[in-house]
Amino acid sequence: MNMFLRKLNTFLRNSQCSSFIKYRAFSSKVSETGSERDPAPLFFNEEIQNLLYTLTRVDLKKVFRPQRDGQQMEPPTYKFLTTRELEKAMKSAKRKAETRLQMPPVVKKRSEVTKIISTDPALESYDRCNYVFTDITYGISNYDRLIVVREPNGVLRHAKWDERHCLNQIYFPMPGREIIAPRMFEQEFLEDLLNRQEYDFVLNRACLQFEPNDPKYIEISEKVYSIVNEKQDFEILRSTRHYGPMLFYLAWNKNIDNLLLENIQTEKIEDAVLFTKLYHKINPTASSVDIAHEGDDIQYLREFVKSEAANKGKLEAAILSYKELEKERQSVAKGIQKAHGIE
Amino acid sequence: MASRLLRAFGLISNPLKKTTNNNNGLICQQAGMVLNLLTSHVPVTNIVRSTSFFNKLPAESLWKGVTSVSNAGRKRGRARAIGKKGIKNLNRGQVIGIGKINMQWPGLTSPILRGRELIQQHKLPEDPEREAKLIQLRDSMTGFKKTKLSPIERGWTGDKMGGRSIGPPDPIGEDTFEGFDTRVLEFKIVTNMTGNMGRKRRTSAFVITGNGNGLAGFALGKALDSRAALKTAKNRAAQKLIYINMYNNHTVLHDFYCQFGKTKIFVTKQYEGFGLVCHRAIKTCCEVIGIKDLHAKVEGSTNLQHIIKAFFIGLLQQKSHQELAEKKKLHLVEFRKENDYFPTLIASPSKVRTENYVSTTEIRDFKQYVLGGKIMLEKRKLPPFFVKQKSWMIRQRKQEYLRNQDKVRLRMLAEHGELRSFLTDKYPEAKPRLMNFKSKRSAEAEAE
Repeated sequence: MNMFLRKLNTFLRNSQCSSFIKYRAFSSKVSETGSERDPAPLFFNEEIQNLLYTLTRVDLKKVFRPQRDGQQMEPPTYKFLTTRELEKAMKSAKRKAETRLQMPPVVKKRSEVTKIISTDPALESYDRCNYVFTDITYGISNYDRLIVVREPNGVLRHAKWDERHCLNQIYFPMPGREIIAPRMFEQEFLEDLLNRQEYDFVLNRACLQFEPNDPKYIEISEKVYSIVNEKQDFEILRSTRHYGPMLFYLAWNKNIDNLLLENIQTEKIEDAVLFTKLYHKINPTASSVDIAHEGDDIQYLREFVKSEAANKGKLEAAILSYKELEKERQSVAKGIQKAHGIE
Repeated sequence: MASRLLRAFGLISNPLKKTTNNNNGLICQQAGMVLNLLTSHVPVTNIVRSTSFFNKLPAESLWKGVTSVSNAGRKRGRARAIGKKGIKNLNRGQVIGIGKINMQWPGLTSPILRGRELIQQHKLPEDPEREAKLIQLRDSMTGFKKTKLSPIERGWTGDKMGGRSIGPPDPIGEDTFEGFDTRVLEFKIVTNMTGNMGRKRRTSAFVITGNGNGLAGFALGKALDSRAALKTAKNRAAQKLIYINMYNNHTVLHDFYCQFGKTKIFVTKQYEGFGLVCHRAIKTCCEVIGIKDLHAKVEGSTNLQHIIKAFFIGLLQQKSHQELAEKKKLHLVEFRKENDYFPTLIASPSKVRTENYVSTTEIRDFKQYVLGGKIMLEKRKLPPFFVKQKSWMIRQRKQEYLRNQDKVRLRMLAEHGELRSFLTDKYPEAKPRLMNFKSKRSAEAEAE
């Protein structure tokens, strides 16, 4: 008997699930215009993910920097640990850092839901307001939840995205997410925040408030990325979970000059080369794909810049000055060695 | 003749009055009419007594009666009030004939003749300084006047010296104590019985001096004069400076337990911004040393000098993180909540023990280790008495519908910039108003 019940249960659950999956297909269908490229398959590509994570350059000190988010402070605690225990603790902290640095997905904008389920003229002008029906069964994700609206004119349709957001937030509130978007995302306040270089804060809050395929999220994040690129404030976002998506955005839009310049000026030559690889992965049709890397990073970068950069002069000057600096350093090191009599 | 007639009526009316009380009402009414008629003719006279102590006693003794206290009264402590009143002789500095209006009275304020000329009575221009001079004279009559201290300069409580600042110690040669501040911890009169003089009183001052940057010293000074006691204590404290190590310049290095006599103190290290939660004397010490965040619980005797001594012993017995790691031969790792409990290596010993060499019986817990195995009694906070009362339940029930009002209000202000109701769109005048004192005041200000 018991066995039977369990089977029945699983059957019921499966039958429910299948209906939701179908629903998701209705609602989240990408627009058929097809003019835009979809970044999602590229972004979720394992090689690209690895490249993005490497370029994030995880600095544990920065990942676990003090969070002043209004929480009650506590006095620090101390532990006496052996070397092995310390290593174990560091390992678990690294694992934690990986989860904290999970990149928000870069996906295409979602399209409006227009699916009509049925039209019942008999219900016309029965009431003056919409009736919304929400399936609040436990264990369904907000994305898959079935929400339908009966309009006063008798049309039964799937709920629109903003209606879904509102109802999901009412029935299953997500701490920190608001029904009405915070005013900090309005133009004037956002501008002020960006002037104060609060990029991380803005992006984190946007992640919390909006879904990744929400046009609003994409608009805000792209705005932040472009301003970071403009002001060359890459160091602020480095080692945060938004650095990868920002690199992806820059490579996607072929806006690579400032990043390369910053990398060369701060002597992150390896990063610059990795970024060019990322660029080729995202833009396989670029003319610089054929340039072969023959061991010399600087030479390779020079050629890459020649074919891809919009502002070649600045970048070439930076490469030259880097070269000279390196030469000088070598000569100084040699001199020191000579002075010490090592040779 | 008339008076006689009245008297005769009175004789008649009195027995009548008596009879009316116990007879029928009809007669009573008649009698009342008669009485009213009679009283209106009685002349009303005011009793005036022309003698009182005012005109019996001379001014001198009246003045004395107000300004002094009898010997018996003095013994009962009434003389204290006299000094407080600040009684002034307003006659002093005043001369007959000279007043606010500067008149010249020949023969009183000036000679009658000047040369051959007869001086006329006339008004002179007013003397603007006269009033100020009088006030100054009257002010000088009162003795010692206490200056009111600002709440910052005031000590721990009211009029007492405890907690009050008395400035930096006096310079010794060329060494000036710049940036130092001295605070009084204890200030009291102590007595001693001597063979020939009996009870001998002295003032004892217990002070701490420090630069707020880790350097501090405390000392006791005694003298007959209170000012001298403070001075000796202050200068002696400056000779006994001790350097105290701090953690990030804001708190103690670690929790510790310390004891002096029967006074025991448990000190807990705290996060930045926690403040000083401890005995007021310890708080003053911390301020002078430069410790900003700390929690301390005093157990046992609260003898003030013992508390300070115990606290300083504890501070001096602190060990640096490196020393602790070296002693334990293990890494010392810090975990902070704001860093999401990321393990930060604070100190490593030159040689680390492996697991095999760490005995299972030794104290591994850091807190227990630094407290020397002692455990602080943390009392459970009891709920206040009123929560058991029925009225509290009723209040809770009545207030329940308000439980999220503050949050709703805040959200509304964030979203709309004003408080609204569901009717506000349709009827703009239907705006909910905050009925509290503050909003009332602001509304009034707006109206003005």
